[in-house]
Amino acid sequence: MLIETRDLSFTYMPGTPFQVEALQSVNMTVARGEFIGIIGETGSGKSTLVQHFNGLLKPTGGEIRVEGKNIWAGEINLRTLRSRIAMLFQFPEHQLFEETVFNDVSFGPRNLGLSGSELTERVRFGLESMGLDFDTYRDRSPFQLSGGEKRRVAMAGILAMRPQVVVLDEPTAGMDPAGRRQFLEQVKRLHREEGLTVILVTHNMEEIALLAEKLFVFNRGKLVLQGSPAEVFKSAAVIRDTGLEIPALSELLQRLSEQGKKVRTDLFSVEEAAAEILQLVREDRS
Amino acid sequence: MSGMRSITLGHYLPGNSLLHRLDPRAKLVGLLILIAALFLIRTFSGFFYFGLFFLIAFISSRLPWRYFLRGLKPVLYIVIFTLILHFLFTKGGRVFWRFGVLTIEENGVYLGSFMTLRLILLVVTTLLVTLTTSPIAFADGIEFLLRPLRIFRVPGHEIAMMMTIALRFIPTLMEESDKIRKAQMARGADFESGNIFRRARNLVPLLVPLFVSAFRRADDLAVAMESRCYRGGENRTKMRQRQITGLDYLGVFTACGIALAIVLTGV
Ligand SMILES: Nc1ncnc2c1ncn2[C@@H]1O[C@H](COP(=O)(O)OP(=O)(O)OP(=O)(O)O)[C@@H](O)[C@H]1O
Ligand SMILES: [Mg+2]
Repeated sequence: MLIETRDLSFTYMPGTPFQVEALQSVNMTVARGEFIGIIGETGSGKSTLVQHFNGLLKPTGGEIRVEGKNIWAGEINLRTLRSRIAMLFQFPEHQLFEETVFNDVSFGPRNLGLSGSELTERVRFGLESMGLDFDTYRDRSPFQLSGGEKRRVAMAGILAMRPQVVVLDEPTAGMDPAGRRQFLEQVKRLHREEGLTVILVTHNMEEIALLAEKLFVFNRGKLVLQGSPAEVFKSAAVIRDTGLEIPALSELLQRLSEQGKKVRTDLFSVEEAAAEILQLVREDRS
Repeated sequence: MSGMRSITLGHYLPGNSLLHRLDPRAKLVGLLILIAALFLIRTFSGFFYFGLFFLIAFISSRLPWRYFLRGLKPVLYIVIFTLILHFLFTKGGRVFWRFGVLTIEENGVYLGSFMTLRLILLVVTTLLVTLTTSPIAFADGIEFLLRPLRIFRVPGHEIAMMMTIALRFIPTLMEESDKIRKAQMARGADFESGNIFRRARNLVPLLVPLFVSAFRRADDLAVAMESRCYRGGENRTKMRQRQITGLDYLGVFTACGIALAIVLTGV
């Protein structure tokens, strides 16, 4: 197991009237090379959870283990951990600060002690993984880029550290559909080609159903469901309880199957579902 | 470190106690009188009586004491510093303790304790008011207090508005800086080690985005205010008119009473 939580709990501002129990007794595991989706309503504790994975928050109860080692027991150097489990925050464009894209993207690798041609290679890798041309962008100011470009530069800065795991906290919030799709395509490609472990936090069910191999559903600080998208969406009632909706496609296929029609309910792309339904109609006719 | 939001000096806690319901203008006037009274106190028993009064007010406010004490933490260092300074450097009277050139003498202990007590009472009284007054009400109170200064062209309303906005954005900026700090730490930034110059330089990745975001927010706010036709203090009416009640007079009179008693009895 790469990442494992045991009875992980976290309370913000404990002992004050403002205390919030953001996580309660969460047990979950993430294996190497998986594509994980974390979903839940606003305020359900998703961001709080993922900040534990690289030691940005310290649990107020329970423990978090990476490769079997409790990260708060002094066995692991937190800075090394953070370069291996990299994290992209919500609205990552707000973290840009350097004068040029090159300098900003190289911030992470520089902190790892890299320099010279190796550094340049890392920056090139980061930018090109996100579909940004190295020579076009390297000398531009990050503050003069468009919103979508800024976000990709921020992501490039994470990838330039060559992490084993990337944690993405709602990376596509506020992007247009084309931008979203492109961004996620790049992430998916990295997952496939580089074996990157991806942990993606999102509200968007349609999006995550197509990408993730495993979903964790949170509600008010508790882990309420886990499993493959198909398994998770079978519990439509539980999901609705958390204030989310299962994808319309899954709902349609499920209703059909409830009415005794022979359809697969584990399809998440419009094309596949359309083909399945078309076939059903044809069978019905004949 | 998730505690950025938990810096509570003057962090309002909603409630329904007598102190909460008091008009902010009455509270601020009362506070000013009490602070003046505090500086008129000449003996330790004066502090004792004042402390007793504070305790009654504190209990009636129903603020949780733990929360209250937490709000005092930032001032603790100043208090300790004052105490040490006086103990070591105010000379006179009997010598209690000697170590090389350092001595602690009677006058130092006396003056140190006296100043410290005054400082503590000053801080707790002020904190009691700020913890029971919402920032908006507080700014209203300030605007009222500044009104007589209008003849010197002091823009009371604008100052109060600036205060309100500043107070409103402190938690937001705290949250923001916490987030940016974490985001840069996730990229391997190190804010904790190194000498002072190194640390200062390491703050750049935190400060630049923070300023950028503060300017962006200021810009947004200006546009929002302008599109609602905001144009400063003149002839502006308030959505909620504050009414001075008997309770408010009672509050101010109590403060006056305390000040008067201190002057007359000479405690
Ligand atoms: N720094 C903080 N201080 C105090 N409370 C916090 C802090 N950050 C989050 N919380 C609270 O903890 C709870 C969980 O917040 P969290 O940010 O983890 O939710 P989330 O699932 O990521 O929500 P969203 O989808 O809106 O990003 C919320 O009730 C929130 O108000
Ligand atoms: Mg979040």
